Amino acid sequence: MPQQANQPLPAGYVLNGYRIEKPLSSGGFSIVYLARDENGTPFAIKEYLPSSLPLRSEGVEVQITDEANLSVFRHGLKCFFEEGRALAMISHPNVVRVENFFRANETCYMVMQYVRGRTLQFHIQRHRHEFTEKFIRRLFLDLMNGLREVHANKLLHLDIKPANIFISMEGRPVLLDFGAARITLSEEAMKLKPMYTAGFAAPEHYRFKPGELGPWSDIYSVGATMYTCIAGTPPLAGDQREEKDRIIPLRSLTRQPYSDDLYAIVDECLSVDWLKRPQTAFDLQKRLNEEPVERKSVAGGFLETINKPLSKLFSR
Amino acid sequence: MRFTIFQDSQIGDRKTNEDRVGYSYSRDVLLMAIADGMGGHEQGEVAAEIAVSEITRRFQQEARNKLRKPFDFLLSAIQSAHRAIVSHAVEHNLLECPRTTCVACIVQNGCVYWAHAGDSRLYVLRGGDLAAHTSDHSKVQQMIDAGILTIEAASRHPDRNKIFSCLGGVVPPQIDVGREFRLQPGDTVILSTDGFWAQIPPSILGTMVKKQTITALMPGLVGEAQRRAQGESDNVSVVAMTWENQEDANVADTNAMDDEEFASSSNSTQQLEGGPAVADDVTDDDIERAIAEIQSAIKKVPR
Repeated sequence: MPQQANQPLPAGYVLNGYRIEKPLSSGGFSIVYLARDENGTPFAIKEYLPSSLPLRSEGVEVQITDEANLSVFRHGLKCFFEEGRALAMISHPNVVRVENFFRANETCYMVMQYVRGRTLQFHIQRHRHEFTEKFIRRLFLDLMNGLREVHANKLLHLDIKPANIFISMEGRPVLLDFGAARITLSEEAMKLKPMYTAGFAAPEHYRFKPGELGPWSDIYSVGATMYTCIAGTPPLAGDQREEKDRIIPLRSLTRQPYSDDLYAIVDECLSVDWLKRPQTAFDLQKRLNEEPVERKSVAGGFLETINKPLSKLFSR
Repeated sequence: MRFTIFQDSQIGDRKTNEDRVGYSYSRDVLLMAIADGMGGHEQGEVAAEIAVSEITRRFQQEARNKLRKPFDFLLSAIQSAHRAIVSHAVEHNLLECPRTTCVACIVQNGCVYWAHAGDSRLYVLRGGDLAAHTSDHSKVQQMIDAGILTIEAASRHPDRNKIFSCLGGVVPPQIDVGREFRLQPGDTVILSTDGFWAQIPPSILGTMVKKQTITALMPGLVGEAQRRAQGESDNVSVVAMTWENQEDANVADTNAMDDEEFASSSNSTQQLEGGPAVADDVTDDDIERAIAEIQSAIKKVPR
């Protein structure tokens, strides 16, 4: 979790009719709180608060003293609006819903549906060894329905990772936290550091140049998320892979057999060269929908057997 | 044009999803298409994929503005999809040509135009009733038309999946076109594959569409269609559009789009708009305006 130097709102504070219970998470651009309305309905409220600017050392009001900081703050606000605007247009069971958007305390707030459940990260830590191939395919097929809708609205998520995927009580994956989504690329905006998560961000994400980033950048992160589901740890960070690709082959990290096809899908998504990845969520969906090919010859199986313990030894 | 649109495709209990759905619209024209690749044939999925992407491609090529002859376009696009599937089979030396059903519709000038081959359906629902629909190119439909089978009995008939027109295959498809149908606000046009319509009768659909908006209703109905199949669900796919009050400022208007702009959902997604942002001064007015815009977008999209 990136550092957030600014003070969160205190518990019990009533914000536009929502009573703040506690901060749920904080990121580079915001703090997310659990809050309830008068009826006791829980919501997740996101407060725009770029962590790179000193904004609130006490109280609840955002205070900007520096003229240059004000410009950066307001520019970032535009990005926050873009996120709100795009999310408001999306009504999809696999994407978190926005319920309200308002201005207060000299900043802005986005009220989102509070999804009961656990993050995929939690499940990976607890239940990874129970993840079957069918479960993984199913989960990501569903998630891609949401991501398609996101991309169709000209938005890139740019921070897909197990911690940003919620699995609801009914087992429905929901894409959350669009905090990194579509950041305009100007010098000014670069003061608001682009957010990324090492291991999940695509190599081109580190350069953050327009034209290079696209749906394929989110696909890389989806690939890294699938990798993590199977291996338990994220792959080597994208920028390091670009220098020298020492990614540990997924199949050497697994405890249970998955089809060669699934490994191939993850490998493709994780291609350093973005042209080699499935280019869209729909392409990936098609690949996930394909019948898994039976595991290959005995020799291959044998090699894998002897390779597995060895590489495990090296990787740990 | 002001409309609300929804699409989804679920695998059901099958091993592959051989259904493909897609929509695409520019300022003045909307295309919706759905295809159900045939399981008994090799690569039904490929056929469905080619059908939807070929029709969408043609649409984006020709529907810069309005289509002059929507029916001619539909016929020609569906035929070219058929040819594309056949050439795919030839190129890849497939023993058997992959096949797919297809239904596609165009909305422009406040009218809907459609064409289909096979047993994927289009319904136009008005006030809870089925105002117009396609007639399946299936054996059971012929028997129903001949009066020797009831609709009820058809749903259990062993040959209910046999169709006599489709894209791909040796015989060119029989393509039927609907009449030009003028839309009224609140009318809903639904395209679905048999995984959906076989489970959710139009009567139920009509009643529910009357009460709820499609974006609120359809996800649940798609799930219901799968549940009703009791573990034997076919792929379930739907694309639906509700024609809104054209004066209703709460619904997004495609008039706001540029001449060359297309919004699509299916295999094509949009690239992030790059380019350096201009140095900007965000004023208080800008902030208020942005918030008002987001508020209205939130109200517009049914939750």
